[in-house]
Amino acid sequence: MWLVRPAQPGDLKDILDIAGGQGPRMSSTLPKKEDALSAKIEQSARSFAGRNNAGESTRLLFVLEDTGTGKVQGVSGIDARAGNGQPFYNYRQDALIHASHELGVSRRVEVLYPSHALTDNTLLCSFAIRPALRGTDAFELLSRARMLFIAAHRELFTDHIVVEIQGVQTETGEVPFWDSLGRHFFNMDFETADQYSSVLSKTFIAELMPPNPIYVTLLSKAAREALGQPHQQTQATFELLQHEGFHRGCYLDIFDAGPVLEARTDTLKSVVTSHPKTLHAANTDEGELCLISAGEGEHFRSTLTTLTESLGDEIKVPVKTWTCLGKSSGDEVRITAL
Amino acid sequence: MLLIRPLQENDLDALYAMAQGAGKGLTTLPADRESLQKKIDHARETFNQRCAPEAGLYLFALEDTELGYCVGISGIQARVGLDEVFYNYRLSVTVNASRELGVHVRTPTLHLSNDMTDTTEICSLLLSDSHRGGGTGLLLSRCRFMYLDDFRKHFSAKVFAEMRGVSDENGHSPLWDALGSKFFDMEFSEADVLSGLGNKSFIAELMPKYPIYLPMLPDAARAVIGRVHNNTAPALKMLRAEGFNFNGMVDIFDGGPVLEAFIHNIRTVREGINRHVMISKKPLDTNVPAEEQVMISNRSFRDFRVTTIPAACIRPDTVNIPAEVAEALEVESGDLVRLAPLKETGRR
Repeated sequence: MWLVRPAQPGDLKDILDIAGGQGPRMSSTLPKKEDALSAKIEQSARSFAGRNNAGESTRLLFVLEDTGTGKVQGVSGIDARAGNGQPFYNYRQDALIHASHELGVSRRVEVLYPSHALTDNTLLCSFAIRPALRGTDAFELLSRARMLFIAAHRELFTDHIVVEIQGVQTETGEVPFWDSLGRHFFNMDFETADQYSSVLSKTFIAELMPPNPIYVTLLSKAAREALGQPHQQTQATFELLQHEGFHRGCYLDIFDAGPVLEARTDTLKSVVTSHPKTLHAANTDEGELCLISAGEGEHFRSTLTTLTESLGDEIKVPVKTWTCLGKSSGDEVRITAL
Repeated sequence: MLLIRPLQENDLDALYAMAQGAGKGLTTLPADRESLQKKIDHARETFNQRCAPEAGLYLFALEDTELGYCVGISGIQARVGLDEVFYNYRLSVTVNASRELGVHVRTPTLHLSNDMTDTTEICSLLLSDSHRGGGTGLLLSRCRFMYLDDFRKHFSAKVFAEMRGVSDENGHSPLWDALGSKFFDMEFSEADVLSGLGNKSFIAELMPKYPIYLPMLPDAARAVIGRVHNNTAPALKMLRAEGFNFNGMVDIFDGGPVLEAFIHNIRTVREGINRHVMISKKPLDTNVPAEEQVMISNRSFRDFRVTTIPAACIRPDTVNIPAEVAEALEVESGDLVRLAPLKETGRR
């Protein structure tokens, strides 16, 4: 069975392996270095347990485990406050009207403004999965289990929620937006900058970007075409999140110009449709496949289950689902359709 | 004789013919009778002190006294940016540094600026092809420094000149194509003409206000920033010899440089001397090379006149000039005139 649960120190090697297979991506909040990742897992454990150190922000890391093998096949995260106490940088795509009454001219000029506006909003992040699982039910479980966690722990998160989608990259690894903008200020290619950003922080790198607005018309054609466009590989994620209720706003990633998706937390599909139910046993494995979650904080578990009956506040699911969730008859769970 | 004098009412036809011959690139003197007439009127008011000193436009004509008409023009605008907004880009540097990353990158950046506001500009220089050479261009340009020197209170301490930037024979400017045209859908030559007709600040208001990072512009555009048009190279050389330097400002359309100098540092001003006129009956050998000529001015605000005479005319206390020169300058024996070498001699 597929199980989503809080990351544990023992997952380190598996997560490193998955993160390493991702290719360069500066905006990822998933470290590729062992020390940094280990620290992140420990922080996540404190966050799940509600025992964050003083001044430490809530950062949660979930893993997708194949219970048959015990191997971790994917990872996803939530930062309760984007930026984690530091500025969270984006470009805001906006327009100026350059007009002259005297000359009878009015022209729309597209501008990218550096922005901190999304700082402190809840951020979905650190998503990575084995390529073979992309677009599968396990993929959906890994992503949406976070929404179920949010539904069950609503007070930890903000009313507005955002997620950054990886931007356009060529087959040879070049990022057109970076090459047309960021590169000039760093004298390094995207991959090198990416290595620094995984050691230092995204904020650190972002603060070296030019502080002034950028005229879109001065970017290369390839960079202009990449604005707000998701990476091909993220198509499945993009669609899933749109289905969940996220929409594209005016914010872009400052390194690759990938879109930032935004949603009202209380209107997310998983949050709206998942209601607390009481767990009962089903005698059969047949029925509709659903997402189910249970448990608070560090005991949070989510999996895929067949659902034979859902009457009122009670649901009947196979006992193996109970085992997977670590719950038994009469316990409270949340369920939502795939 | 070649004589500098204030521009007059009857110079319009000669001026129009010259402006027509000049072609594109001379934005301050468009071939448009109405706008030329306005300039003449403005200059007349200025010399007659019928306009506020800061609104002054001093236009000087170079008259070939044998031909009896004007063959060149040069000007001084007392202050720029008072009525309309005067824009330049300031070529500056943004440094992006991080010890941790081993990054220390200098990025040339253009900042839109109004820094030249309230400064005196030397402008509108145009000389007929028929009279080029032999130091005539020097006289036409440098006579202005003698005027600035004698009437400093009417001008700012610093003066500047905008130099024509690079454009090709078809009137295409690489900087305009890479920058201006993205914001103002127009050919450089058209924008240039509009500028000359007094619309420059309107166009400037449509230009980008935020800094422009040069690495984002194509090589061809970056290469012309602060560079002058080939035809302007002699003017650049002349101003440099006078002590003018590139001040880091460039034209927002074509990237041509702004050169500036403090009046007291200008060579013509520093090397100027005063002498009393002594009218001599001895005929003057005017056929001397430019190196041996000096400019002589009558120091008159309303009827400023300058011509050249051989340096040999200068005596310890006086300058000996023939009657026809004195007549042209409207001076008499005993009047105090000012003299300055026409050309840098390299002696100092």
